[in-house]
Amino acid sequence: MTLRGLGFDPLRPLGALLFLGLWQAASASMAPIMLPSPWSVVKRASADFWSAPSLAYYGVEDPSLFGNLVYTSENVAIAVLVGASLGALVGLAASRVWLVRALVNPIMLTAGTAPIIIAAPFLLIWFGVGRASAVSLVAFYVATILYLFAERAARNLDPIYEHSALTLGAGPRRLIRDILIPATVPELLGGFRIALAGAWGLEAVSELLGAQSGIGKVLEVLAGATDAQGILASLILLGVVALAADACAAALIARFAAWSAAGAQRL
Amino acid sequence: MTSQRMIEFVHVRREYRRADGAHVTAVDDVSLIVPEGEFVCLIGPSGCGKSTLLQLLAGLDAPTSGSIVLKAKEIEGPGPERGMVFQRDSVFPWMRVIDNVEYGLKCRGVRAPERRRIARDYLARVGLTHVEGAWPRELSGGMLKRVAIAAVFANGGEVLLLDEPFGALDYVTRRQLHDVLLALWDTPGATRRTVLFVTHDVDEALTLADRIVVMHSGRIADDIPIAAMRPRNDDTLATPEIIAIKHKLLAHLGLQTKGAHA
Amino acid sequence: MSAAAKERLVSLAVFAALAGLWQIMSRVYVVEAQPGEPMIPGWQILFTRTFLSLADYWGGGFGVPTVADGAARTYLAATLSLLSHLAFTLARLCVALALGGGAGFALGLAVSWSRFTRALVEWPVHFLRALPLLAMVPLFQLWFGATFLGQSLFAAYGIGVIVFAATVNAVRNVPQIYIDNARLFGASRFALYRDVILPAILPAMRSAALLCLAAGWSAVLGAEYLGAQTGLGYVIVYAQQFAYLDRMFLVALVLIVCTSASFRLAQTLFARWLVWAPPSMRA
Ligand SMILES: Nc1ncnc2c1ncn2[C@@H]1O[C@H](COP(=O)(O)OP(=O)(O)O)[C@@H](O)[C@H]1O
Ligand SMILES: [Mg+2]
Repeated sequence: MTLRGLGFDPLRPLGALLFLGLWQAASASMAPIMLPSPWSVVKRASADFWSAPSLAYYGVEDPSLFGNLVYTSENVAIAVLVGASLGALVGLAASRVWLVRALVNPIMLTAGTAPIIIAAPFLLIWFGVGRASAVSLVAFYVATILYLFAERAARNLDPIYEHSALTLGAGPRRLIRDILIPATVPELLGGFRIALAGAWGLEAVSELLGAQSGIGKVLEVLAGATDAQGILASLILLGVVALAADACAAALIARFAAWSAAGAQRL
Repeated sequence: MTSQRMIEFVHVRREYRRADGAHVTAVDDVSLIVPEGEFVCLIGPSGCGKSTLLQLLAGLDAPTSGSIVLKAKEIEGPGPERGMVFQRDSVFPWMRVIDNVEYGLKCRGVRAPERRRIARDYLARVGLTHVEGAWPRELSGGMLKRVAIAAVFANGGEVLLLDEPFGALDYVTRRQLHDVLLALWDTPGATRRTVLFVTHDVDEALTLADRIVVMHSGRIADDIPIAAMRPRNDDTLATPEIIAIKHKLLAHLGLQTKGAHA
Repeated sequence: MSAAAKERLVSLAVFAALAGLWQIMSRVYVVEAQPGEPMIPGWQILFTRTFLSLADYWGGGFGVPTVADGAARTYLAATLSLLSHLAFTLARLCVALALGGGAGFALGLAVSWSRFTRALVEWPVHFLRALPLLAMVPLFQLWFGATFLGQSLFAAYGIGVIVFAATVNAVRNVPQIYIDNARLFGASRFALYRDVILPAILPAMRSAALLCLAAGWSAVLGAEYLGAQTGLGYVIVYAQQFAYLDRMFLVALVLIVCTSASFRLAQTLFARWLVWAPPSMRA
């Protein structure tokens, strides 16, 4: 009957407007070099989106925000796919094979508490400036998180399901394919979503420390030019991409975890 | 009834070592022969080893000593010829109801249209046709038990093991499911499956069983045939012989009854 | 032997084996990152020459002369150097945790007071959380310069956003039945917050706090990597520019020990505060 009854709360967009208003007010009382107005940032983002000659001047390989967003997104996509599948598989194996758990668990538990960003300078030395060091940094981070989620989910899985499948005639391959993996999918996807959210920042830092392309590189040159407007425009575009990726992850959860409470909530 | 022996327990023993180091003998030298097609109820106080005996027969656990023989072959591990309905819910929450019922057939490589037909048939027999596309979390406890029973019957195992399947259900639902179970077991024109049904409910055992095996501290304490006609109801179970058996069973469970004093 | 003791023994053995493997690798793989700087420095190098070389980063004081002033490298200067940079890193982290945690928690509770404020902040917070924190280092440098305050504020911002979102979420998830129950006893709005909502959100705040600790460490290191003159992160990046892999490795080891210890500490503290909670809430 009301808009709110349909799941739409007019207070939320109002909150967004209020936020923009506060930003506008703050920018009006500050030098534009410190805090440009929201509207000028939007204009800058659209102006530089397809082509930004100033970036070429600073030596960025692809002088457009779009091109650098694509570069960053490609790296994140590769790293997340590789890291997530590796981490999940090893985690599931560790939950069922004593030897794997004994060998891998101590390392992963330590890696899980250590800030992965520590590794960035090492990777730059080992792999040099380029995709390899950024991708391996993010992939390791994602793999660690997925490992921890997968191992815990599989260890907490009620053994009754595996017992039931065995009495129905399932073999080892089916136990993995039909029980272990689908039963842990909600947790795996939950971990995937968390890992994905952190991946963008790590990728950006890796690019800030040393890269020829990517939003991190763009941020680096803009910071050198003390261009707050450009920095905010790039950051916000990166945030929008991250939001879109997160929405995709949420859709995946709704699709593949529909049977669980977590999936049902989002349906 | 001179049928073939289906299951044979030969001096079966199962010891556990608890975390504190103590040894527990859950099943202590059990020998038992179950002929084909018989409906056996296992009854006994909590902790007497009923579940352990069933797990051993299912192949989910191995005896410390002794052996279990199924149709002249010693069992090693689980197999689809022995279906099991667990006390807790074991329906896979990530498969829809119909896929759960089909799962055993799928494992055995039955083609999709054929297994769907079989699964629909069994779902209809347990009265769940209307929820075949639902997720298990949308079903009540009694409905989940029906799904589990349909899945096990659809899989066509000759031996069915049920471990207090209706223990957590309300009285009315339990009575309904007794009828469903007996109808599945005694389908006209089909051979009866051999059933081992664990319960701690005397009336349930009397309603269902051809034979009641009483366990106590891991051993078989009594073995009572029930000759009452089928179908049974409250009236046919009110004969003096059945009432005498009931008192005997209650005494085995440690409950004093008037009959025991008489 | 209990399962936990066995697990601990195995993990000790794994780390010992890794340390041994490192030593063997240092003998087998003798490639140098640059002349005199092995790619894989053995332990005997790490704890002598490498450790001594940390004296280069000593800023002076306590009457211990700096290498830049022509003094020789001493173990005392190296120890002081390591401790002083560690102290800067920890100081940034603690300031950030206090500022960000305090502000985020207070704002979160304030906003949770009414359904309207909660709805108002929902979208902006969702967006701020989506902005990748580590990519914002240049922005904070622009605003505050490469100063201690700027680096701490950056980490505090990252922590604050997490705590704020977690607090709002946790208050929303307090089971209505507790609130109704307290109302029936006649609790005032304030008493409701103090006696029901605060304890009830504590288990949820535990995971938020661990998340903050991780984010705090990353943010501090990120800020130090990208333009600080003190802190262990600065030492690592400064050493990286000369490809001193051994120094980077040693400092990274110290950092990992510190982060692990900080998590251990946080977990112990929360375990003590949450003795009343059922195990499922503490997981
Ligand atoms: N995995 C196990 N480890 C240790 N003891 C067990 C285990 N399983 C069963 N037991 C013990 O064996 C005995 C019989 O258990 P169970 O077969 O479950 O009894 P029932 O099903 O008749 O209630 C109990 O004393 C129980 O504590
Ligand atoms: Mg039992």
